[in-house]
Amino acid sequence: MEPKKRRILGFALLILLVLVFLLWNLHAGSVSISAGEIRQILLGRGQDSTKWNIIRSIRLPRLLSALILGGALSVSGYLLQTFFHNPIAGPFVLGISSGAKLTVSVTMIFLLSRGLVSSSATLILSAFLGAMLSMGFVLLISQKVKQMSLLVVCGVMIGYICSALTDFLVTFADDSNIVNLHNWSVGSFSGRTWTDVRAMAIVCALGILLSFLLSKPIRAYQMGEVYAQNMGVNLKAFRAALILLSSILSACVTAFAGPISFVGIAVPHLMKSLFKTAEPMILIPASFLGGGAFCLMCDLIARTAFAPTEVSISSVTAVFGAPVVIYMMVRRKAARE
Amino acid sequence: MSEFLKTENLSVGYDGRALIRDVCLRVQRGKIVTLIGPNGSGKSTILKTIVGQLSKVSGTVLLEEKDMAQMRQNETARRMAILMTQRVHPELMTCFDVVSTGRYPYTGALGLLSREDKSIVMEAMALVNSEDLADRPFDAISDGQRQRILLARALCQQPEIIVLDEPTSYLDIRYKLELLTILKTMVREKNLAVLMSLHELELAERVSDTVVCVSGDRIDRMGSPKEIFSSDYIAKLYHMEPGKYDPCFDTLEYVPKV
Repeated sequence: MEPKKRRILGFALLILLVLVFLLWNLHAGSVSISAGEIRQILLGRGQDSTKWNIIRSIRLPRLLSALILGGALSVSGYLLQTFFHNPIAGPFVLGISSGAKLTVSVTMIFLLSRGLVSSSATLILSAFLGAMLSMGFVLLISQKVKQMSLLVVCGVMIGYICSALTDFLVTFADDSNIVNLHNWSVGSFSGRTWTDVRAMAIVCALGILLSFLLSKPIRAYQMGEVYAQNMGVNLKAFRAALILLSSILSACVTAFAGPISFVGIAVPHLMKSLFKTAEPMILIPASFLGGGAFCLMCDLIARTAFAPTEVSISSVTAVFGAPVVIYMMVRRKAARE
Repeated sequence: MSEFLKTENLSVGYDGRALIRDVCLRVQRGKIVTLIGPNGSGKSTILKTIVGQLSKVSGTVLLEEKDMAQMRQNETARRMAILMTQRVHPELMTCFDVVSTGRYPYTGALGLLSREDKSIVMEAMALVNSEDLADRPFDAISDGQRQRILLARALCQQPEIIVLDEPTSYLDIRYKLELLTILKTMVREKNLAVLMSLHELELAERVSDTVVCVSGDRIDRMGSPKEIFSSDYIAKLYHMEPGKYDPCFDTLEYVPKV
């Protein structure tokens, strides 16, 4: 297919998927709401009904969280893959999400024990701190270990250590609110307020916009460091920018939805296969839309598949995402031999 | 004719320790200067330092009498293009995409290619006889084609000098000759300056205007191919003894010193 046609069709497909899953998410749940009713409610009619409440204060913020955070997570993965010149890099497998999870739970428990509820900004900041700490470790290790597979193993180990510490904290924390904390620490889009949605929208929009503005150096960097430098890319500043942006994005996701597995690797890969390019100007918006659609789909399954019991979002994304990652690793190995 | 690229008392090495001192190279436009020397003698180290991949230990690199260290990155990018030994594995890029990265110093903030940029890219591909490869994925073509594409990439950067580090490695003899022929034509037509390193002495002899012999810790000798290749000097440079009978190959040839 001609590249231009492929791009138009690709984006049309992604937008369609996002819309379909948005509506489906509005419709489905413990109370099923018909398309007509959704339309009325979105137009602002029938303000006193229960359904109004369900849509306005539960489903809408939740699906917007899934869309924004899923998109941010995929973009973060794409940036990390660019940084490491390897498609198997992602915030979850490198332990960055788990690092953020640890610092966020420490912050939450600390504040809860003083009877305070953590604000959106505090959550994002503490998650960013954790993400940068894990990132620092990963970068230190990557100085010694050049092989990506070993780096991923190290990242998974960092992830386990952080998760173990978090579980330990959660188990022994003494508060009734701990139920929420438990939900969050396994990954979930539930319980987000409009304040949270506003905060994540601002942070993610900024992060993704800045990433998009890096399109030109990202393209040069895909040719390898040596050529990028010769073309006039300031390598140090560029690398730092990549690390900061990907950490901010994945930290924001972890702050609001806990650790979500495999989206960061699987979605950019699917987008590369769909568009047959790794060009940042295509891949950044595509990853955002694709990640959004993917997480909306997974959240729908998490909410409805075993209703009334809710499955953690990470379990669902793993079921769909992990096979993609395994397939990629096998194919890469085969291509090299 | 004035020198386009000049190094003055340049010392190169790793981690601030000089391996080769007092490198004084002169490259003129329209001329090819080739570094030769045994493996590990420091040819690549010199080239990597000149292109800025390695930081120099001391000394200066001048482009038209201007210190390169003082120049803005974008300016050096417009004047100097490179083709290095390391293989590149850009993900999902067509040959056109790879060549078009050479337009980087000329495009705007988002790196969008104008119509003019695109025609320059196609022109560069035509110069290396590779227009038909434009839509092929870069990782699906042969090594010889890849080097040609990378040369087109360098040309479309519209440089005044190209630095090439062993551009003929991995290539069979036909592609070696082809690449160097294209290079030689470019030098003449575009009045380019070329600084490169080569493994193959017979090729160095054929294409170079000046040959520079690097021997581990210093630039040992510099001169026209005639001066360098017509004596026993090469044997000395490569630590071999001249004119002995080699029983292994049944020839009267240079043999390695044991």
